[in-house]
Amino acid sequence: MDRRNSRRDAEGTSVITANRLLDGRIVWLAADGQWATLIEDAKLYPNSAVEEALKACNARAQEEALVGIYGVQVTQTASGPLPVTSRERIRAAGPSVHPDFTPDWHAPHPAPYA
Amino acid sequence: MSHSPSAALPVGHYAYDDVDRTFLKQRVAQFKDQVERRLSGALTEEEFKPLRLMNGLYLQLHAYMLRVAIPYGVLDAKQMRVLAHIARTYDRDYGHFTTRQNIQFNWIRLEDTPEILNVLADTDMHAIQTSGNCIRNVTADQFAGAAADEVLDPRVYAEILRQWSTLHPEFTFLPRKFKIAISGSQQDRVAARFHDIGLIAREGENGRPVFEVFVGGGLGRTPIIGVRLRDDLPEEDLIAYLEAVLRVYNAHGRRDNIYKARIKILVQALGTEEFLNQVNAEFAAMDRARYRLPEATVEAIRARFGAPDFAPVGNAAEKLAAQRKADRAFDAWVHTNTHPHKQPGYCSVTVSCKPAGGIPGDVTSAQMDLLADLAERYSFGELRITHLQNVVLGHLRQDALYDVWQALEKNGLGEANVGFITDIVACPGLDYCALANARSIPIAQKLSSRFANADLQREIGPLRLNISGCINACGHHHAGHIGILGVDKRGEEAFQITLGGSAGDGDASIGQILGSAMSEDETVDAIARIIDTYLSRRTAGERFIETCRRLGTAPFKDAAYATA
Ligand code: HEM
Ligand code: SF4
Repeated sequence: MDRRNSRRDAEGTSVITANRLLDGRIVWLAADGQWATLIEDAKLYPNSAVEEALKACNARAQEEALVGIYGVQVTQTASGPLPVTSRERIRAAGPSVHPDFTPDWHAPHPAPYA
Repeated sequence: MSHSPSAALPVGHYAYDDVDRTFLKQRVAQFKDQVERRLSGALTEEEFKPLRLMNGLYLQLHAYMLRVAIPYGVLDAKQMRVLAHIARTYDRDYGHFTTRQNIQFNWIRLEDTPEILNVLADTDMHAIQTSGNCIRNVTADQFAGAAADEVLDPRVYAEILRQWSTLHPEFTFLPRKFKIAISGSQQDRVAARFHDIGLIAREGENGRPVFEVFVGGGLGRTPIIGVRLRDDLPEEDLIAYLEAVLRVYNAHGRRDNIYKARIKILVQALGTEEFLNQVNAEFAAMDRARYRLPEATVEAIRARFGAPDFAPVGNAAEKLAAQRKADRAFDAWVHTNTHPHKQPGYCSVTVSCKPAGGIPGDVTSAQMDLLADLAERYSFGELRITHLQNVVLGHLRQDALYDVWQALEKNGLGEANVGFITDIVACPGLDYCALANARSIPIAQKLSSRFANADLQREIGPLRLNISGCINACGHHHAGHIGILGVDKRGEEAFQITLGGSAGDGDASIGQILGSAMSEDETVDAIARIIDTYLSRRTAGERFIETCRRLGTAPFKDAAYATA
């Protein structure tokens, strides 16, 4: 998976992403070390520092219940980091065919099985 | 419940017994334990991933996806309601019917999965063998047990094959996954030539069927049309012969290279002749008595499928004729969405899950409940999922059609487009799929809107349009008369058009790539120009695929790349 997403220029900027083990949802590493559901909160790394940061994240992956950690190159825009590939833009925004399913969409509480 | 099924069998699907149920419950308990061990850290992701895949749970772009098996595409109203319940409770109120006659839920939580599997098991459903290098869910044609042209009920044989292959010790670790399809009539409604093994039934002597056997077909990265190994395989040798094919595959299939591991590559590498020789040698050497499929076994399995108890229909046909005359929209729907039934006064209905501008194959929980209600009320409680991502009500009285159509219409399921250009097959693509290069759904929606006009669709006539978001070809783009393949151009989405593919009856072909990839909007415009070219160049009564074959790709290529 990293093959297509580790397209990083020497000069660029990246953020770090993963999926949560429990519910599979996408998260972004924030400046306070927490994993946020919105890319706006993601911490920016110069590409030269991404590999090092990923190594540290991977070492904590089990403890933090995360899978599939990798770096995503972004450009900085007024509304926050914007991934350079369409794939990562879709990951950041939610499926384009369901505009209501934004990353902060909350599931109604599961009803007990009748 | 005892080993013998009860007197009132559910129509159209196999009556499970205690042994099957115990097995399902054990598998759920086992998975629950595995999930707990994963959460505690006792299992690493590397260790856990194959276990969750064996239970149909994939990690996709935004969440986990659960793929629920629907054996030979048949389910009953109660099961459909359970799927609706899962959509509502554990997902985001919808599910996606796939070309493998399964349903996928896109927003499942790992934590909830054991409970969901439990709920499924309560109505004899599961997600086993929807993944992994085993023999997958055997597919059967969607008019099984109903079609006027049927030779045998393919579900009986699909069930026999399921029992033979489930947990077959030799075949749980094949070089690669293995897909079998079976059509119960001589008309190929299952794309038999695009499966690892495709079976087409024909009338044999003594009232027992014989099978045409195709091997080594497939789509994906290397699309290949299956070769015919037998055209007269007697029923009693069905298991023995497939066993022989699988043994040759198991012995020689490439395990070293995932892209060369499918049986289609082996058949090509050995050559049809040599492959056939090896299968025949294996077949001749094996203990045939041990693998013989006796008539009595077939009949015993058949007896565990409930058959509909058709009531006298009176003047149903006349009533239908009058209703068609009175309502032109209804008439158009009957024309495209019904299929002849073997029982006079009845017919089968294909419910289109392709509303204008909609997402092909997506169905809301409310729609699932409606389909369950209609099945219960009008079609002996039975439903089928088709490999073209639609739903079939198998046995409707002709005088019930008008009521059924009205109910479907009111709930976004009344589209009269089966077999037309807007009956699009599309995989989830980059909106959901972790492997995708490009989105399949938005381009499907644009094309569906572009050609939404009913008169225009009728004018264009039969046309298969298939879209895949990457070369894995889950949307069967190679088999579409028009195919669209999503590619990645330096991180941006782009689309290639293929032309002239067909999964159809006796004339399977693989679509030819027209030229370089274009943007989404350019592709939609290019397809509109391809259709214009067809409409202006076709001869009277010529279908799209026939015009493509007659003219070749050149004029369509010119049209596709013409800049206005
Ligand atoms: C979204 C999750 C999905 C994933 C990760 C996925 C993955 C794959 C992969 C990797 C292959 C190629 C395997 C091979 O060539 O050996 C494949 C093939 C296939 N998939 Fe999917 N798929 C997904 C969804 C679907 C859906 C939604 C459908 C139905 C619409 C589908 C139907 C198929 C079929 C029919 C093939 C076989 C093509 C052939 O004949 O080789 N898949 N899938
Ligand atoms: S064809 Fe590719 S993009 Fe579409 S579902 Fe299959 S793997 Fe995903």
